[in-house]
Amino acid sequence: MNVSPTRVFSSQLAEVAALAALSLLLGFALNRLSGRPLVLTYQTPEQRLVRQLGELVKNPPFKLMGSQTLGLEQFRRVLAKQRPLVLDARAASFYREGHIPGAFNLSRENFGPDYQRLSATLGAARDRPIVVYCSGGSCHDSKLVAGALLSLGFANVRVFTGGWEAWQDARLPVSR
Amino acid sequence: MPDFRSLVSFGPGAGRKLKRLALAAARIAVGVVFVAAGAAKLGDPASFADSIASFRLLPGVLVSALALGLPPFEILSGLLLAIGWRRSAAALSVLIATGLFAAALVSALARGLIIDCGCFGSGAPSAGRMWLDLLRDLVLFAITAAVYADSLPRHRRATEPQASSPAATRRSPKI
Repeated sequence: MNVSPTRVFSSQLAEVAALAALSLLLGFALNRLSGRPLVLTYQTPEQRLVRQLGELVKNPPFKLMGSQTLGLEQFRRVLAKQRPLVLDARAASFYREGHIPGAFNLSRENFGPDYQRLSATLGAARDRPIVVYCSGGSCHDSKLVAGALLSLGFANVRVFTGGWEAWQDARLPVSR
Repeated sequence: MPDFRSLVSFGPGAGRKLKRLALAAARIAVGVVFVAAGAAKLGDPASFADSIASFRLLPGVLVSALALGLPPFEILSGLLLAIGWRRSAAALSVLIATGLFAAALVSALARGLIIDCGCFGSGAPSAGRMWLDLLRDLVLFAITAAVYADSLPRHRRATEPQASSPAATRRSPKI
């Protein structure tokens, strides 16, 4: 039987298309099974880092121990003697309204971009004590940010549990 | 004692045998190269997506789809080509892929981009390596084109007597 070359080529192209479709299905299935799946819309390495940092702060693998918390008086002593890096874990709008003098804003809510913005400051403070605070009372943001920092390799991280509320109640100086 | 004369003699069938042997070796070699290239990318789709994105040719959605789909495509088409099953379709797949890789590299070189093609996993971007990658793609393309041309059915049929040819008609008994 004589088959026309066009027909042969068309059937080969159909097989190539089937192979491509099968490969795509296989690729998506493998991606779904993978521990670190690729998101379907491409993200640059910087965007991926921000996303991973955002995921890290939601549930940091390293948790803070009870001994790594500070009350107001302990915090004031640390401030005077150890010159720690102070981080405000509240949202940027609260930070702008008022914060502890010298504190940087590393919010839980916007952790990835904030971490990148402060990367030089944080990098220089790897061997310095770091104290994180949030609103005070039962707020968890400072613990989550401290846990994320511990997970990222910062060894000397503590939480000022009294937070912004205790600082204001003590009528201590405020920066805006 | 085995007769080695057929291997060294250049009789009427020796050239054809040698060509067939060379094409089979080339087909297997290209297949293995493709399987290795696909396997190198399979473990790290994020780095491969970065390499694809650096060509600045595709939108984000297609970059991820290609980063996920291309490694299995290379492995499957390379495997089919190496084992010789669905040979024409496998050779055409490799031919299309190498053609597109070469076109993308030429486009990047023409735009002055210094990138890592991600062809065999990730590496450092370099213009020299891009030219070498292009040369390798063109060599693979040329070899695969020869394999594809050989796999087409008309090549086999040309050597067989046609049922409608005068010689075949003469030999066939009249009913």
